[in-house]
Amino acid sequence: MAGMFAGPQEMMGYSFNTAPTSASEPRQHSFYPYTDNGGSTLGISGADFTIMAGDTRSTSGYSINSRHVPKLFLIGGEGPKNKGARIVLSVVGFAADGDALKEKLDKEVKMYKYQHGKPMTVSACAQRLSHILYNKRFFPYYVHAILGGIDEEGKGALYSYDPVGSYEREQCRAAGAASSLIMPFLDNQVNFKNHHIPGSGEGHDLKPVVATPLPKETVIELVRDAFTSAVERHIEVGDGLQMMILTKDGVEEQLLPLKKD
Amino acid sequence: MDALVSQLETPRSQQELYNSEEEQEQLALSLSPSLKFALPPIAQSQAWLRAMTDDYSNPNCPIKIAHGTTTLAFRFQGGIIVCTDSRATAGNWIASQTVKKVIEINSSLLGTMAGGAADCQYWLAYLGMQCRLHELRSKRRITVAAASKILANLVYSYKGMGLSMGTMCAGVTPQEGPALYYIDSDGTRLAGNLFCVGSGQTFAYGVLDAEYRYDLTDEEALELGRRSILAAMHRDAYSGGFINLYHVKESGWVKHGFNDMNPIFWKTKLGKGEFSNVTADLN
Amino acid sequence: MNHFPQAWGRPRDDIYGHYNSSYLQTANPTQHTQSPVVTGTSVVAIKYKDGVVIAADNLASYGSLARFTDVKRLRKFNSSTVLGFGGDVSDMQYLDRLLNDLDVKENYSHADDEASQLSANNLHTYLSKVMYKRRTDFNPLWNHILVAGISSESEPFLASVDLLGTTFSSPSLATGYGAHLAQPIMRKLVPDEEAVKGISKEQAVDVVKECMKVLFYRDARSMDGYSIAVISKEGIEIKENEKLENQSWQFAERIRGYGTQVN
Repeated sequence: MAGMFAGPQEMMGYSFNTAPTSASEPRQHSFYPYTDNGGSTLGISGADFTIMAGDTRSTSGYSINSRHVPKLFLIGGEGPKNKGARIVLSVVGFAADGDALKEKLDKEVKMYKYQHGKPMTVSACAQRLSHILYNKRFFPYYVHAILGGIDEEGKGALYSYDPVGSYEREQCRAAGAASSLIMPFLDNQVNFKNHHIPGSGEGHDLKPVVATPLPKETVIELVRDAFTSAVERHIEVGDGLQMMILTKDGVEEQLLPLKKD
Repeated sequence: MDALVSQLETPRSQQELYNSEEEQEQLALSLSPSLKFALPPIAQSQAWLRAMTDDYSNPNCPIKIAHGTTTLAFRFQGGIIVCTDSRATAGNWIASQTVKKVIEINSSLLGTMAGGAADCQYWLAYLGMQCRLHELRSKRRITVAAASKILANLVYSYKGMGLSMGTMCAGVTPQEGPALYYIDSDGTRLAGNLFCVGSGQTFAYGVLDAEYRYDLTDEEALELGRRSILAAMHRDAYSGGFINLYHVKESGWVKHGFNDMNPIFWKTKLGKGEFSNVTADLN
Repeated sequence: MNHFPQAWGRPRDDIYGHYNSSYLQTANPTQHTQSPVVTGTSVVAIKYKDGVVIAADNLASYGSLARFTDVKRLRKFNSSTVLGFGGDVSDMQYLDRLLNDLDVKENYSHADDEASQLSANNLHTYLSKVMYKRRTDFNPLWNHILVAGISSESEPFLASVDLLGTTFSSPSLATGYGAHLAQPIMRKLVPDEEAVKGISKEQAVDVVKECMKVLFYRDARSMDGYSIAVISKEGIEIKENEKLENQSWQFAERIRGYGTQVN
């Protein structure tokens, strides 16, 4: 605490301008280990399903690396194709970190099944993912992860993460380049933020609409609208929309075209 | 020289990727929350981490970690009130409005979360584990003093590495009665009657200090906690969302709701005539 | 930890020192400890219905100096894969030795067993792990590699790995300048996987040769001597001393606006 009272020249902590910027200390020159491969992902959970989605474009700078690089991964199924998997991980940010994270989680979920003789629950998997991310607290994975599945009660489960592993169960979440375009739309359409019941009162007495789980068809439409709109306004989103629909019967994958400009 | 010889002796394909020892280590690491962390392989890893993650010094830093903000807790004759907002920000982006910043360590101990959301979640979960182990070893519940000291010693051992947490431990035990501790990532650990922590702390202190008495009734205390957080949510841009309110009693903690601040704000303004700086005129 | 409201929870300068933004990437790549010295430029590759065509020129540059003019940047791995290396040449040679070791080891463990040989996709996975591990150790192999060959499912396979361990696959790929100059030409022919099935070997070879020519026109670190390889189920045809044909520099006289010449 001593440094807080170091002198008048350092006491201007209340101004936005005091953010220190100088770089005077000697340092080891080093390699910059991150890049951003763009793209966006989202997840929405319903009463008995969860939908995960992500675009399939991979970029570096203004170049498009490829038009088909999936951001959604099946976790903990059988064999190299993950048959029978019931958990889906989506990662967006630095794709190589994303792949490393996916493989680490997949390995652990498979080890759990091997050691315990039963598949891992989504909530356990969610906590494990948090710990994997936090294990790299001081050298973070540059990713935003979303994990989807069906919980023990048969309800849709969705967990979202920050790069170092803080996590929360939510109804909906958008991540990645266009998250700031998609998330407000989802707040409005999934959680009915700022919706009021017409005629329920005057001015401040208007009653807010209570959010109820949406039917699957509505959610699929929302996901498509979210992505087609994001493609119009964000350069790093486009080419293809990969969607995974998780229900008690398993995971159904859909691939839809998006604009390629 | 030996290193050179061994480098030339082992085939190149065995030098790349991970050797079997490293693989074993990684597998063991993943089994439970642990104290071993991957570090960037450079001399000044703290400066490197800060360059990547300090969104205050550099609003364009690449990795934006979710931060939590206003939390408060105070002791009074009926126990302890713990109250928080629910906003998490990553830079100027509101990452979430529904964060649970009161962490239930066990049925009579609460922790609060301000600073790095992941730091608080991970270390309070770790603390929960240690508290349970203490119970199993000594056949009685851990005191708040001991629990808070586990956390303080732990974060002190990581001092300078870049952890960011300002947390409070609140609980009632037979040995201590109601006990409240403040712990932060500098290693500070303080016992006290009243703490506000986070970027909205000053606003919360303003209301809390003015109205606080030790002999508040339960209802008055709950209302004061709620009102203090409301003031911080109103004036601090990094606080907002829902008011999360807890009352810790001898019998354990009781949750008093997770309520949207907006209707509470308007009720406070229109019903009690407070917040007269805000106009209620809709036209 | 800072306790002032605007900076709450962030590192404090008196403990951590000033914020040092030089750790962040800037436009200037020379700040790295380990930086490429002798480099190769673009590699281009395209899939066709029965296989993959890949090409790279034979130049290794030392900065702006065209230092070595007969460096072969396409390397064969067993009978199903060709790797094209862009970036640092010494790291390429290291990787080549590494892969030779791997090949020898593989041959010892199951000689003459065609089915269990490492195929192109296996090799790509292995390389991506090596590259990602190296970047995590802050000791990268400064290359961008295209892996062209036949996959375990006997399908044409083309994918890339770079120094950060980033991987992706596409019907056509190009590294370095090629990503800007050659990719649009190849994507016109194969916009998606579906289009690959309609492309013959001749079409693929022609478009790759065209790309090499366009790159020679505009990439100052390129050369007119190049290597080209065609990988199919029948095996690998590799030609290492090709010359660009039908060059036309007529477009050059219409170019205006460089140096002292302003219009």
